[in-house]
Amino acid sequence: MKASPIGSCLLGLAAGVAMSVSPLAFSAASAQDTPVRGGNLVMLRAEQLRTLLPSQPTDNASIWVIEEVFDTLLLPKADGTGVVPDLATSWTQSSNGLEWTFHLRHGVTFTNGQPLTSKDVKFSIEQTAKPSSPFAFIDASIAKITTPDPYTVVITTKKPFAPLPSDMAIFANSIVPYNYAGMKPADFAKHPIGSGPFMLKSWTPGVEATFDRNPHYWRKGLPYLNSITFKTVADSNTRANEVQGGQAQIDEFPAYSSISALQNSGGSVKVGTFPSSRVDFLSINNTKKPFDNVDVRRAIASAINKNTLVKVVLFGHGTPAGAYMSPSSWSFDKSIKGYPYDMKAAKAYLKKSPVPNGFSGTIMVASGNSDQQTMAQIIQASVAKLGIKLTIQTLDPSAAYEALQNGNYEIGFGYDTTDIVDPDEIIRFVGSYEGGSHSLYSFYKNKQIDEWINKAAMLNDQAARQKLYFKVEEQWNKDSPDVPLFYTPEVYAYSGNVHGFHPFVTGNYGLVNVWMSK
Amino acid sequence: MLRFLTRRMLLLVPVVLGVATLTFMLMHMAPGDPARTYLGDRANPAAIAALRHEWGLDQPLWRQYLNFMGGLAVGDLGRSMFFHDRIITLLAIRLPPTLWLMAMATLFSIVISVPLATWMAVSRGGAVDAGVRSFNAIAQGTPLFFTGAVLIAIFSLNLHWFPVAGYGNTVSQHIASLILPSLSVALVIVPFLIRGLRGALMDALNSEYVNFAKAKGLNRRAIWINYALKNASITGISILGIQVGYLAGGSLVIENVFAIPGMGTFLMKGILNRDFPVVQASALVFALLVIFIYLLTDIAYGLFDPRVRLK
Repeated sequence: MKASPIGSCLLGLAAGVAMSVSPLAFSAASAQDTPVRGGNLVMLRAEQLRTLLPSQPTDNASIWVIEEVFDTLLLPKADGTGVVPDLATSWTQSSNGLEWTFHLRHGVTFTNGQPLTSKDVKFSIEQTAKPSSPFAFIDASIAKITTPDPYTVVITTKKPFAPLPSDMAIFANSIVPYNYAGMKPADFAKHPIGSGPFMLKSWTPGVEATFDRNPHYWRKGLPYLNSITFKTVADSNTRANEVQGGQAQIDEFPAYSSISALQNSGGSVKVGTFPSSRVDFLSINNTKKPFDNVDVRRAIASAINKNTLVKVVLFGHGTPAGAYMSPSSWSFDKSIKGYPYDMKAAKAYLKKSPVPNGFSGTIMVASGNSDQQTMAQIIQASVAKLGIKLTIQTLDPSAAYEALQNGNYEIGFGYDTTDIVDPDEIIRFVGSYEGGSHSLYSFYKNKQIDEWINKAAMLNDQAARQKLYFKVEEQWNKDSPDVPLFYTPEVYAYSGNVHGFHPFVTGNYGLVNVWMSK
Repeated sequence: MLRFLTRRMLLLVPVVLGVATLTFMLMHMAPGDPARTYLGDRANPAAIAALRHEWGLDQPLWRQYLNFMGGLAVGDLGRSMFFHDRIITLLAIRLPPTLWLMAMATLFSIVISVPLATWMAVSRGGAVDAGVRSFNAIAQGTPLFFTGAVLIAIFSLNLHWFPVAGYGNTVSQHIASLILPSLSVALVIVPFLIRGLRGALMDALNSEYVNFAKAKGLNRRAIWINYALKNASITGISILGIQVGYLAGGSLVIENVFAIPGMGTFLMKGILNRDFPVVQASALVFALLVIFIYLLTDIAYGLFDPRVRLK
């Protein structure tokens, strides 16, 4: 399967699987197999699990594990087109658009036996809304939360806020027991109590963590697996070897260069490339001369052969980018093609700029990131034909990250992924100065764009919102603050006996539906 | 002996002070804010400030330094910023795999080198000598990660004799998991050791004391073991000491290839995360390891060489 725009039939089917509770619907997805209970699944990941406190992490390695341990009011659809019920069975918006009422599922208990009620929901969301929480922005629209009865939660927003249901489907708004069941947050982070399909059994920090099936999980008969273990294996070759050798079942993010070798390794290992929300960018610091000039940025954009980058870096497993939103979002404007590779056009743009004959600058790469190294070299060679002399500057990853955030660079690399299915988060993250990353490190400011974004968030009609988002993407494309390079799939290699594994566009593993044949 | 040990232990103090100060300064001077790294793009300044305060990074550098050194004086290495666990707890997880790895690599080096070097010395200039010498050249020219990958491909993926990677959960699993990685490390040491031992053995065989032993009518075996090998081993020990000490710091590569949760990967991740306490503690542990290995080397000298035997 190639990373393709949403709506492929396989995806639709998988979305059905993720939503369904009955094993019956699942068997439709893989006709000849019936799910088997049991099995201990080992997943290898490059990054370490840091914390299991839902209001705390910003790293996917923690986030994606938290989603297996805790439930949220709603759940994103696997294909990213919307949300479906989870702990809340239904929800309504008041006629003035300010009050959202969620009706909770009865009979859900935490792993300590305590029933899950509205009191827990209110407490949980309030923890993430605290200013000290890195995901506070996601709950910033909330004015207050009330709990008329144990199974009803009413969330009042300051202004009408259409993305609210999507925000209730994010890991940060996972439901924990009221007052962390009497524990200090730091202790709860090590001994979490959730209502999700799996519960923590043991954890060796930085090395591995094992989770057992939650026997009290509210979806009857699920999950299938007895346990899942997440192990940290930094080297991608080692991860691939372990899956090939049968020591582990899932390899998170095999190197793109190894995908065809894995696919041809004799059939015991499958490679899945799943559509994700990730978009990779060339970030340009719009505050530095001469990059403050739009024609300079357009010239650079036109001089980049995105097809080559996809071939060389992703080994073909991706799509050259046009609009800055991901094709997985309904806000994606497919009519925007970006700046096609055209050296003549590039030269023409540069002629119009204050530096018609070129200039010297730097392009920053993170040390140890061979993809960035390669891309920098290709871009360096290409813009050299315009008279732009780029020097590659290698910085330690942490220092490079800081340089991007503080604007201490000229050209660099960045990317975004979304945690919610609503476009509101990412349209701001890349398009708005206040969106969290100074418009993906470009430091680009556009009042008109901010107005459209804010207006769209207050509308409930998706078609009307989409129109505004298209305008945003068009204006952004015109100003070309950064260069969207490619839409990147999520790649997993997994052994042939793993079934039903289909990570969501938002990254959730959805391991509750996974089963292993003997 | 006791006086010697006391003196060596006292020497540790300036080394520990120096290493601790140097790592502290380097880490704090390097660009990259741990709170930023931890919280990511969307964190507001309040969240970053709160975390910096929690980690004590908002204090002046000299006070942070005094706090760190004060903790060190009472054996408190602090807490990992990223895991919130005590460093000592994390070291208890990370140190044993590295120690096992070093011990097994040393053992493999000796077991491979001594017979081969002896054989070479006996068959001087013969086919064995030439064969081992070319093996040496190849082993020395092969990067550690490549040796590891080749061993995995042959013995784990094809023959299924050993686990592909990892460390296992029981002692027997630990040993099985560490055979290939320690063999890879040993193959780096072996060429140096063989060359040194072979040279020393040949010198010994040409020496007056061996000629004297021959004249005395001692049998070949006794001459080889009690005179030639015993004297050559002094050279061997110093080479081994230096190489193993060097590899304590180089364990990173092989731990990465074999996914061993040891000190090397611990230090590496600590640096990338800017987890200051982790980096400071790991650097100290590596320094102590090297010192400890050199101490062992010195003691081993005494066992073989009465001239340097410690009183």
